[in-house]
Amino acid sequence: MKAVPFKFGFWLSLVLLAAPFVHAQQNLPLDSTTKDAIDEDEYAVAKVYDPLEPFNRAMFKFNNGVYDYVFRPVSWSYVKVTPSKVREGLGNFFANLRFPIRFVSSALQGKFNRAGLEAEKFVVNTLAGLGGFIRASDGVPSLADVPSEDLGQTFGVWGIHKGPYLVLPVLGPGSARDTAGLVGDYFMNPTHWNQLQHVDGYHWWWDTALQTTDTVNSLPGLLKLYDDEKKAALDPYVSVRSAYIQYRDAAVQR
Amino acid sequence: MRFARLVLMFIASLPAFAAVAATPPADPSQVLRGAVDEVLGIVYSGKTQTQPFSILVRPVLEKNFSFDLITRRAVGPGWRQFTPEQQAKTIALFAELVIRTYADRFEAGAQPGITYAAPVELSPSKRELPTTIDYAGKKYSVTYRMELVADQWRVADVIIEGVSMIKNYRDQFDPMFQRGGAAEIIRLLQEKLAQVPVVK
Repeated sequence: MKAVPFKFGFWLSLVLLAAPFVHAQQNLPLDSTTKDAIDEDEYAVAKVYDPLEPFNRAMFKFNNGVYDYVFRPVSWSYVKVTPSKVREGLGNFFANLRFPIRFVSSALQGKFNRAGLEAEKFVVNTLAGLGGFIRASDGVPSLADVPSEDLGQTFGVWGIHKGPYLVLPVLGPGSARDTAGLVGDYFMNPTHWNQLQHVDGYHWWWDTALQTTDTVNSLPGLLKLYDDEKKAALDPYVSVRSAYIQYRDAAVQR
Repeated sequence: MRFARLVLMFIASLPAFAAVAATPPADPSQVLRGAVDEVLGIVYSGKTQTQPFSILVRPVLEKNFSFDLITRRAVGPGWRQFTPEQQAKTIALFAELVIRTYADRFEAGAQPGITYAAPVELSPSKRELPTTIDYAGKKYSVTYRMELVADQWRVADVIIEGVSMIKNYRDQFDPMFQRGGAAEIIRLLQEKLAQVPVVK
């Protein structure tokens, strides 16, 4: 029989001797202070990698100005002149059109079942939903809640670190990883494929009009989310940063 | 004879006492549905035209949210350094802020559709209740974290699209506490409340 080395034997006996006490300690009723500590750790502040914070804060301020003086008036006027059903239909149409982003990202993550559901959803919404204006897939239980995927999430699933937090001009909160993902998503979005040039009587501004409609139509919803977060905040910069990081982490987990 | 009747009455009433003592707390899903229905009932009843919405929903939120727990966790470990007076003041101010900003999220228009998914048991006294809110053509995932507080299921956190309300405030309160302790948090809450009007 091989002799147990002294050091290892010493630690082993210590552990064995201590075990009953450790067990007894675990079974002790927790006092309120210990309970608090356990509960509060769930929300412990994680270190956010924000080496560009001074630049980001300046950009955050700049963006708020752009939203207040450019986007908000456009969004307000758009809501005034466009009935909610039309806005909803257009939102569904552009979301349906972004199918390649969700399909390719799901497949790249190895979520082939999800990619299949996305394909089914696209077919159902395009055919039964009048080209995507009606979200007909809601009537199919398996297609009603398919989590949306994008390239930034794909990089996250691959284990690529999110990198520094970035506040992008006009676009708002982001990270190095999501910014790279955004570039890929841009090229996978059919509104940027200039396909309208194959239509008779094509004018160059048709594509611009399509992309602008997509952006303007999404403004009211985006501004509402952004405003809700800011209004409730004591430090709007930290609040939006925390919300963005939590939101993207949850999206990667789904 | 009289005494015997009293004894009999006492024995007969024992099962009733036992039933009261053994009554389990209501199902958290029912508590949440009841609270949500009550809030939506207020929003779409037309009463909000006469009184601010935040005042109308206050009793519902105070009954169903554990503001004590929410505030304590939003502040974090620094909470133990607050005096009892500072704790009471912070809970009152933070509850006011949450109620006002919650009320501000509602807009007149179509009533949102809410789908409740199966609850997730985190522990015997903690549940997560996932819901999906369908509003203005968009779907939002909203999860309510409920906890058993003094035998009542109460909302202890609201997680919208993966964003925890408590975590969001903890991230804000933490540097404030490091900078100026309880006094700084109370000062900033008072300052914020002065900017957030009682809506609608």
